[in-house]
Amino acid sequence: MRFRRISKVVGVAAAAVLALSACATQGGGTAASSSSSSGAAKTGGSATVVEVNAFNTFNANTANGNTDINSKISYATHMGFYYVDNNLKIVHNDKFGSYEKTSDNPLTVKYTINDGVKWSDGTPVTAYDVALNWAANSAWFDDANADGTTGTSYFSTAASTQGLNNTNFPDVSSDGKTFTLTYTTPYADWESAIGGNNGTIDIPAHIVAKHAGLADAKALYDLMKGMKKGDPAHPQPANETLKKAADFYNTGFDTKTLPSDPNLFLSNGPYIVKDMVPDQSMTLVRNKDYNWGPAAHLDQIVVRYIGSAPAQIQALKNGEADIIAPQASSDTIQQLKALQGVTVDQGNQLSYDHIDLNFNGVFADQNVRTAFMLTVPRQDIVNKLITQMDPNAKPLDSQIFVPQQAGYADSVKNNGSSAYDSVNIDKAKQLLAGKTPTVRIMYNKDNPNRVDSYTLIAANAAKAGFKVVDDGLGASDWGKALGNGTYDASIFGWINPGIGVSGVPQIFQTGSGSNFNKFSDPQADALMKQLIQTTDQAKQVSLEQQIDQRIWASSYGLPLFQAVGVDAYSNRVTGVKYMPNSSGVWWNYWDWATT
Amino acid sequence: MSQQSQQEDVTASVGGDTATAAQPAAGIEPIVEAKGLSLGQIVRKRFFGHSGALAGLVVFAAIFVLAFSAEGWGPFPGWWKYRYDQVTPLVNFGQPTWTFVPFSFGDHPFGQDRIGRDLFAMTMRGAQQSITIMIIIGLVAGIIGVVVGALSGYFRGWVEAVLMRITDIIIIIPVLLLAAVMSQTAGRRDSGSWFAQFAATNGVVVLGIFLGLVAWVSLARLVRGEFLSLREREFVDAARISGASNMRIIFKHILPNAVGVVIVNGTLLMSSAILLETALSYLGVGVKAPDTSLGLLISQNEEAFSTRPWLFWWPGLFIVLICLSINFIGDGMRDAFDPRQKKFNAKKAKSRQSRAQGAPVGTPAVATAGGSVPSLDVDGTINPARGVVPDEEAHGGAPDSERDGTP
Amino acid sequence: MVTYVVRRLITAALILLGASFLVYNLTALSGDPLADLRASNLPNAAQLMQARAQLLDLGTPAPIRYFKWLGGAAGCIVGNCNLGMNLVGQPVTQALGQALVQTLTLVTGATVLAILIGVALGIITALRQYSALDYGVTFMAFLFFSLPIFWVAVLLKEFGAIDFNNFLNNPVIPLPVSLGIGVVFGIVAAVVSSGAPRRRAIVGAIAFAFVSLVCIVASLTRWFATPGLGLGVIVILGVGLAFGITVLVAGLQNRRALYAGLTTVLVGAIIYFPIQPLLDVATGLMIFILAVIAVLVGVAVGWFWGGYDRGQGMRVGGITAFLVAAMVLLDRFMQAWPAYFSNDSIRGRPIATIGANTPNLQGDFWQQGLDSFTHLILPTIALVLISLASYTRYTRSSMLEVMNTDYIRTARAKGASERSVVMRHAFRNALIPISTVVALDIGQLIGGAVITETVFSVPGMGYMFLQGISHVDPNPVMGVFACVAITALAFNLIADLVYSALDPRVRVK
Repeated sequence: MRFRRISKVVGVAAAAVLALSACATQGGGTAASSSSSSGAAKTGGSATVVEVNAFNTFNANTANGNTDINSKISYATHMGFYYVDNNLKIVHNDKFGSYEKTSDNPLTVKYTINDGVKWSDGTPVTAYDVALNWAANSAWFDDANADGTTGTSYFSTAASTQGLNNTNFPDVSSDGKTFTLTYTTPYADWESAIGGNNGTIDIPAHIVAKHAGLADAKALYDLMKGMKKGDPAHPQPANETLKKAADFYNTGFDTKTLPSDPNLFLSNGPYIVKDMVPDQSMTLVRNKDYNWGPAAHLDQIVVRYIGSAPAQIQALKNGEADIIAPQASSDTIQQLKALQGVTVDQGNQLSYDHIDLNFNGVFADQNVRTAFMLTVPRQDIVNKLITQMDPNAKPLDSQIFVPQQAGYADSVKNNGSSAYDSVNIDKAKQLLAGKTPTVRIMYNKDNPNRVDSYTLIAANAAKAGFKVVDDGLGASDWGKALGNGTYDASIFGWINPGIGVSGVPQIFQTGSGSNFNKFSDPQADALMKQLIQTTDQAKQVSLEQQIDQRIWASSYGLPLFQAVGVDAYSNRVTGVKYMPNSSGVWWNYWDWATT
Repeated sequence: MSQQSQQEDVTASVGGDTATAAQPAAGIEPIVEAKGLSLGQIVRKRFFGHSGALAGLVVFAAIFVLAFSAEGWGPFPGWWKYRYDQVTPLVNFGQPTWTFVPFSFGDHPFGQDRIGRDLFAMTMRGAQQSITIMIIIGLVAGIIGVVVGALSGYFRGWVEAVLMRITDIIIIIPVLLLAAVMSQTAGRRDSGSWFAQFAATNGVVVLGIFLGLVAWVSLARLVRGEFLSLREREFVDAARISGASNMRIIFKHILPNAVGVVIVNGTLLMSSAILLETALSYLGVGVKAPDTSLGLLISQNEEAFSTRPWLFWWPGLFIVLICLSINFIGDGMRDAFDPRQKKFNAKKAKSRQSRAQGAPVGTPAVATAGGSVPSLDVDGTINPARGVVPDEEAHGGAPDSERDGTP
Repeated sequence: MVTYVVRRLITAALILLGASFLVYNLTALSGDPLADLRASNLPNAAQLMQARAQLLDLGTPAPIRYFKWLGGAAGCIVGNCNLGMNLVGQPVTQALGQALVQTLTLVTGATVLAILIGVALGIITALRQYSALDYGVTFMAFLFFSLPIFWVAVLLKEFGAIDFNNFLNNPVIPLPVSLGIGVVFGIVAAVVSSGAPRRRAIVGAIAFAFVSLVCIVASLTRWFATPGLGLGVIVILGVGLAFGITVLVAGLQNRRALYAGLTTVLVGAIIYFPIQPLLDVATGLMIFILAVIAVLVGVAVGWFWGGYDRGQGMRVGGITAFLVAAMVLLDRFMQAWPAYFSNDSIRGRPIATIGANTPNLQGDFWQQGLDSFTHLILPTIALVLISLASYTRYTRSSMLEVMNTDYIRTARAKGASERSVVMRHAFRNALIPISTVVALDIGQLIGGAVITETVFSVPGMGYMFLQGISHVDPNPVMGVFACVAITALAFNLIADLVYSALDPRVRVK
């Protein structure tokens, strides 16, 4: 009896095992991963890069998509006519195509794309893709007025449209390989007009066309060709097809997970996205077809998102990350330098802190401005805030250049900044002639560097007889206060664009958007007007130097110091080089290799 | 419900000596302390008999005195030579000068930060601020919690309905969000209102008041629960018959009987308030530079963890010490206010016999409920429902029904 | 009952409305969403500001925007959810889904562990009130509670991940360290054990010798490089467990229950080798089915043994079977360790400091499982440490209260064994108030842990909430808030209902 029961149990168990093996993994065993050829630090291997922000769109050109990480991924998966190197020089990529200025008057630029350059779906990259790039970043068709109540805005762009907007509708040759752009007004930054900081042609026009219901990229171009330049004063009814294309362009590429449609993440560069885990990581693998630019070494790049600097450092230390670029602080740098098997690369960033004096109120008098500037302990601020990170740091001596740029050294010699190399309280007192002006200094209270700068500046200014009022504001309020006249001096930061000159008038031209301290100098204005229309680079530099001199001569205020940047990478990776601009370490990702 | 009945026992015995005397059941040692002593004396005696609480009290008092005397407070100058915001030349890269062999404090016993501020001064100032916040939160939350709880528990009806729904709403609003709004407003100078003016100069006080304004909810629920059962007791009826006004009954008759719950939970609320401040400062919405607090110090120096560890360890040590001592004080208070708490000797406690009979103690569950560790910590900031007391409504609303169930 | 629930639900809906209105407006008030652009020197800053203002609909006053949001949210009731987009154009519903998964993986294990450990510690400390153990646990619980979690996290990463990984690369414990670990365990054992000093000393010495020996043997056999339990250890531990469970559940005098437990261990031992090939191709579903089968087999064994109290035997059998199966599972995970350890994506540094898994890990079920484990272990430890205090203290006082009640006295008086008094009479009743706390805590799980998520780079609900606040972006904030508030209110109600179900003296009406 009992035996029978047991045998039944055994029978049931056997059946159960069979049933269970049915729900086992198919194939079983481990999928052995490829053995990386450990050659002489050449091709192959994988590296993990840490980024602070999380990726969210394959179109990094739109106002909302234009975050650092989106641009970096776009840069790694696309190519263009040029890229920017770590000396902030534009390097042409002749394997992709070529571009040249064919005429100065009117300024005409001709872009030619080489044969064989193609998207990862096999479609060739054509001049129509360039045309879409132009259309999207020029706002050429937009006829919406300032508050958006009439007219239509088509493509959203994060780029400045002032150059590309002043062009005629571009020509595309019949074979679709050549793109010719004619400017109606000369534009100084024509070199980087198509492609921006990355230089990439990153949105496939044929995909956008398809989502607008058009046959191919050419159809999209033809559609646009039939339209007139938008004029906010005379708004036209919206073109539905273009609007559809633009809407898709603006939001169709947004995603945090890998789209099931591979057309949404086409690559025309060294890498292509293989996997995405929302807010955690992203994996790029080689684009097999790619041969139209610098050859990449790594087989795979893994991007992981880690916010805080200590977590990044610990991840590097633990081997979970190979390349990190944390927010620099003296502790971060010391800690990184103490790590075994890690190389630390330091340099300046393009952002710099400065103190601006308002050209009205107590500082309307140039003598008072000069006196105040003489009390600012720039060297001391650098010593206290920056030297621990970068022992060679010096105060920034130009309002327009950063030391990485060619024009800096010459400009510093002549711009008169040497007068403010050291604090001169006596001279300041002399200039004040017994007056004790009250100075309200506005800064961001939540930024430790600004707080410390303020502390040091205020202490010194008091010595010369200034009555300093602490006008610091919280993180989200100080920006609103800029230019509202409730303060006399402000300490904050600008970012030097690195390439191009259109940033100069934005800050210094009379009445310009970022001219918060109401600086106005007719001579400088004239020079700037000339600058943005100068297409010759040598002339640009010379003009910028003159402008720099004018700014210093007017006792505008003082640049203080450049922010310090730091990269660190484990010794299993080579080829990482420091880059001051927003591309960071990514600028030469193709040179990365494992040892 | 058991909790409720438990409370009734508590209040019954706290209410008068006779009740306590009547309490001992078979096998429980007679309560010697209770003879001829007032409630306060009993509590004091028990509290000082609790070694953990005593140690906590001593440590806390030491930190309190050290922090407030070293840096001074308000108009009173401190004895320490540096101010917390005073920049001094860096000595030896800011390393602590405190040495043990030979023993000397040196110029900067705790070291200096990157621009040369004295860390001892900053830590003391931070401890001051953290303690200030803690006390303000305790006071504000205590007063509001008691008043709201007492009114809704005593009057019931629509008063209770309105107050408890407000409590419910506040309970599910994340603290982190409120702190963010507060820190915005406090940083705003140009709005020019008196509040902004005040906030600009007294950031810590404002932060404390603000957090106190949201931290009272769990206490209010507990006090209400306490009042719900106390208002049905005979002594309240007696007071009412003899013509006492409502206010008098609430504050003179009932509240003293609920004081245990209030004090215990207030204390524990304060210990979590310190951690709350730390967490908020870490997230950037707490105390702002150039003022400082312990939480801000640690979060500012998080990166210095392995390079200049003193910047990280000293403020951290003080947070832990303050928090630990407050927790132990709270624990001692709880034991002291529980009338059935007996300190029995260790031998008897060990023997199975006494375990079988005595093992008294046990805080009323309600007293511990929300209080044991009020989840005010930031990992709970967006977690609502801080009070852990089951909603009275769930249990029939009226104490009568509960009483019926009481064995 | 039904009217009560309906009334509660209506109140909850009104509370939600009020609170969400406040939260929306507070978020809108909490800062300037254009702050970073205002100070920008980009030539097109004004354009970008306009674009963002349009995206966030800043032209509309916040209270009115709230009603727009509410309109979209109301769609959720009819299955057409629209909680708006966040700043980067991702629908909030989608973001919530992703964040929720992250948070639950991070927090669930930690909460369950914290409850188990906390309740166990609470009961033990209550039974041994005012002993060295009680004081020790109280002190540790308060200490951990007092530690700021970001601090704990940094320390854990430094020692638990980086240093432990270094150790794993050369898994040899030096002799002095082995002895040191032995001493620590010996002291702990001496403190934890009860009885006369002499007896404690003996227990301590045994623990010291045993632990030191284990360390030395593990070091010599390089156990940490190729871990595993093996059949022998499983059988020995299983027999120990069978005895332990019998003591707790049935008492040793119930021989049949003990035999049921031992038989179950035997079955486990017999099946150990045959099951291995099946485990090689395991999936999650299969493991679950196997676990159910194991428990059923254990219960069946208990039933076969019968005895005067068949239920006890079945319980012992079931629990033992489950634990033995868990050991077999653990053993299989350990077998996968060397392969995981040398995986290309791991490169010999298994314990992770960030994230929830290794990107692109190529591996089978076991390696994936180990990967989750190595990623979750540190945040789990951190969360358990800080939340231990509340469970321990709460259980302790609840247990003490119960131990002091009349029915316990009655149970003792009628001669019930200590085991029966503690396990059957006291423990179950002490759990009633704890069930409330647990229900509420589970309701709060969903809110995540803001700081833990931030330091361990796990993009969960707390992180999403924090991001929303720091960018002054009301939509994600409201999304998280709505989720958290609804679950919290629901579990509040559940807690009350459970309480009244467990404690018949409490009635809802």
